[in-house]
Amino acid sequence: MNFKHKYIFLFPGLFVLIGILIFPIIFVVRLSLSGWNSYNGLNFIGLENYIRLFTDDPRFWESFFRLSFLSVTTVVLQYVIGFALAHMVWKEIKFQRFFRVLFLIPMMTTPVIMTVIWRTFFHESLGPVNDILGNFGLSPKWLTDPTLAKFTVIIVEVWQWTPFMFLLLLAGLLSLPKEPFLAAAIDGASPVRKFIYVTFPLMAPISIGAIIIRLIEASKIMDTVYVLTSGGPGTSTETSSFYIFIKGLREFQMGYAASMSFTYLIIMIISLTVIAKVLTKLLLKD
Amino acid sequence: MKIIKTCLSAMISGILIFSPAYADKWSDQFPHIKATGDIPGDCSYEEISKKNYKGKTLKINTHAVPVIGQPTALHAEQFAKLTGATVDVTHTPAGDLYAKAMVPFKAGQAPYDIVFGFSNFINDWRQYLAPVPKKYMNTKEMKDVTKSHVGVSSWDGTMYQYPVDGDRHYLKYRKDVIDNPEMQKKYKADTGKELKVPTTWKEYGEMAKYFNGWDWDGDGEKEYGSAEVMKKDDLMFAAFFSRSVAYAKNPRTPGGFFFDLETMKPNVNNPGFVEALTDWVEATKYVPPGGINFGLGDEIGSFGGGQTLFSFSWDDAFIAAMQDDSPIKNKVGTAPLPGADKVWNRVTGKWENQYNQAPYIVWGWAVGVAKKSKVQEMAFDYLCFFSNGANHQADLAIGNFGVNPFKNSDFDPNLYIDTMGWDKEIAESYTKTLKDMEKSKNRVFPLRVRGVFEFTSAVATGTSKALAGQLSPQEALDEVAKEWEAIVKRVGKSAVQEDYAVGVKMEDNKL
Amino acid sequence: MGKLYTFLKYFFITIWTVFVVAPFLWALTTSFKDFNSVNGGVTYIPWVDFEPNLEGWRVLIKSPAEGGVDIVEPYFNSLFVTCTASLISIILGTLSAYALSRYTFKAGPIKNNDITFFFISQRIMPPIVLSIPFFLFLGAVNLLDSLIGLIVVYIVLLMPIAVWIMVDFFNKVPREIDETALIDGCNPYQAFFKVVLPNSIPGLIVAGMFCIIFGWIDFFFAFILTFTEVQLLPVKIVALNSSITPWWSLSASALVSVAPLIVVAFIVERYLSKGNLSGAIK
Repeated sequence: MNFKHKYIFLFPGLFVLIGILIFPIIFVVRLSLSGWNSYNGLNFIGLENYIRLFTDDPRFWESFFRLSFLSVTTVVLQYVIGFALAHMVWKEIKFQRFFRVLFLIPMMTTPVIMTVIWRTFFHESLGPVNDILGNFGLSPKWLTDPTLAKFTVIIVEVWQWTPFMFLLLLAGLLSLPKEPFLAAAIDGASPVRKFIYVTFPLMAPISIGAIIIRLIEASKIMDTVYVLTSGGPGTSTETSSFYIFIKGLREFQMGYAASMSFTYLIIMIISLTVIAKVLTKLLLKD
Repeated sequence: MKIIKTCLSAMISGILIFSPAYADKWSDQFPHIKATGDIPGDCSYEEISKKNYKGKTLKINTHAVPVIGQPTALHAEQFAKLTGATVDVTHTPAGDLYAKAMVPFKAGQAPYDIVFGFSNFINDWRQYLAPVPKKYMNTKEMKDVTKSHVGVSSWDGTMYQYPVDGDRHYLKYRKDVIDNPEMQKKYKADTGKELKVPTTWKEYGEMAKYFNGWDWDGDGEKEYGSAEVMKKDDLMFAAFFSRSVAYAKNPRTPGGFFFDLETMKPNVNNPGFVEALTDWVEATKYVPPGGINFGLGDEIGSFGGGQTLFSFSWDDAFIAAMQDDSPIKNKVGTAPLPGADKVWNRVTGKWENQYNQAPYIVWGWAVGVAKKSKVQEMAFDYLCFFSNGANHQADLAIGNFGVNPFKNSDFDPNLYIDTMGWDKEIAESYTKTLKDMEKSKNRVFPLRVRGVFEFTSAVATGTSKALAGQLSPQEALDEVAKEWEAIVKRVGKSAVQEDYAVGVKMEDNKL
Repeated sequence: MGKLYTFLKYFFITIWTVFVVAPFLWALTTSFKDFNSVNGGVTYIPWVDFEPNLEGWRVLIKSPAEGGVDIVEPYFNSLFVTCTASLISIILGTLSAYALSRYTFKAGPIKNNDITFFFISQRIMPPIVLSIPFFLFLGAVNLLDSLIGLIVVYIVLLMPIAVWIMVDFFNKVPREIDETALIDGCNPYQAFFKVVLPNSIPGLIVAGMFCIIFGWIDFFFAFILTFTEVQLLPVKIVALNSSITPWWSLSASALVSVAPLIVVAFIVERYLSKGNLSGAIK
């Protein structure tokens, strides 16, 4: 195909993005080499921030591992549930349109606002959940038990973002070609075999795309943690992005926060590349 | 009846301000001040109406509605009407006020002429704020501000924040329980101790524990011991210091509560603080379910909604309980923060077995005018108008406005009895509680060194780990102290020392 | 087998429906409460458990001087910014995605996949630190506190999503379609607009919806980059969070803010089904 055209297609988007982002990205790198905070300006302190981060800040690394746990768990759950839901409303079902629309709605709520509703929902003395469970003699500490609080965060994230998977996968299912299914039907394959050998492989590319983008988004989890628990009890729900938020906007250690962000960016790019490669190997074998 | 009340209160406040007050042309136009009419002063309605700011715009960033945010907007509307100015107000949640103004400040911009915040922002903000001009320092309104609130608003004698509100932590309790003879008998029978307003944190804990988890007011719901800010956020450290002052602020060892001013060694892990944190960890047993995730909003809702026996921190919970539609109106009382039977002496390194109590003049709402603002005079006129006699008294009477007493003339119980319908006894103990704090010689002021949020955030993290049981109180505070030392080292010891000296001067009553 | 599957299917769908709806129902009932009916104990049914009032809803249209937050103007600001930024992102993103799907690029070790990943990697950076350079950048070009400034920032946020999703969808549209069109005498642009694009409507709809959603729910950039002139809905609503957390008005605002997107959801659902048909015709 013609060489010129491809650039005309690619470049407007690419250059707009680069044009808007080039300064901010360079600035973040520069910022990470400074002690910019409430009393210092944009001075130059070399790699001091990075040294502090790698040698003297276990809290960042703890929060990073916690984040990895939270984001992988939520994304896996979202994928499984999202796929199941999409598969269920793909073919004829009663109230199909209603369910399809309903299952989309949670992701349209603004996290900062919706999480306040969740906080009241799980409120241990004024919320409905424990009020109802109380009738059965249960009173789980949704927000104040270090372990359970993590799962509460996961519940809220799954509620909010499963629709994202659901929509991508449903759109994928709806645009699948018909021929493979006809062939499978002729072979008399059972529904389970049909799913394993036809549907799933066909859905693999879009699944990988969806998982990667959700991992990126889930790793930025911040509003949910902030509103639900502020990272507590103790530090049991603190994630990297929330920790960066505390250091950056609460304590105003912007230089240090920049060095954390940049480190985080590098780690995420590497791990996402690896994850994408592994997923491609696993799912796209055939 | 209402009219008589209104007139009466108008007369009383009139006498109070030494000027005749009555429904006048201003109160016809501005119903907000109908109780008093305009009160003469340097920024009264009368005076401000003489100014002409037509064509000028004043930009304000204030707190969310209603607390402080609503009076800001209301007075902005009035100010615009009186002077012809355009006033734009934006509202920001408390936790974000700092960043919202700090980001433009650091970028060399002044998108707001007036920025609201807390008094402990003063050191980070003062380089971007214009000092209050002499003219406003000499107004009649300013002369009425109490000494400690002038101190909180000033940095080493120069005022950067215009006083519009006064804040402190004090104890709130359910009067219908503590003063109830039957409950007193029952408590005595069960514990062998007197049921009275607690004067030490140990008593506070014992009573709270006793009244935790059963329905003591007969409304069909369980009640609990105490509602406190335990959520790891921007306010948690203040609750911790409120509990620490009793054990760790020793009037016989001047020279620093948070640090030893001479060496800049943190005091925060000395036995006094550890004792307070131990109490606090114990307190997790008598807060409502979910209590260790309570922010200020939850605390207000919990105590104000009648769920707990005690609460301590800012005024809001008490004011919420005293609202007209509150089921526990006039069933709550106030008292100074509890003290302790022993106090740590960091010089001798020993406990002193004598009663100690120290008021914590916690930071509260504060407001400054940006140095880069092009309409500074209008901005100061607005702030002066905000807190003029008539506005201030009307604001005080509206609970959720969040404007609390900070003028000497505010400590008159009649103000609350007449306009707000408080019981005489409650109003008297309220004003006495506040007034006594002003008189105390053992006060603690907020930490206001540069980078203050690095320090307070370390406290929140450490104490929160202790409350969650991740660390013992001693371990948690050792961690905080280590973090503080690292921050001091980063910032520069002499810089922090210089900043901290200003606060210590106030604490040691030398300013 | 079939029966069991059907039973499980409906069972699961019912559970999920309850899970999805429960917080909304809770928000709905909470929006009619006041301080005392929230803090006095858990209540559910208006008139039975508590006396409903409209204060939570009224707050949304009252002026701040009367203790409200007037969300009418921010509502329209949000709609405008979201729609404009989404539209531009979709246009630019679709073009780039098409290039990445159909042509091969090679510059040293950088290949198509890397360019695609470059787009999406723009979303990895936590927004907190980016806010400072964006602030300076918009300040330098005098676009702080303006709708255009926000649109510029949102394009950066949204375009990567559009590119990422569209590449996937274009990959699924068989190449033969373009080739046939080219042989029939179309130039590459005609082939794209007349043949490929109509076949990618589900993708466009999905990408468009994600852009709208991510634009609509952003709080952070809208918060840092505006002062008094321009306010977006989430920022305005969060300003309800005073010392007392007003469960009632926050509940009302959560419902109000999700409303316009439900309309979008219906449109999306309709076009998704259409995409199915056009896929079948092929």
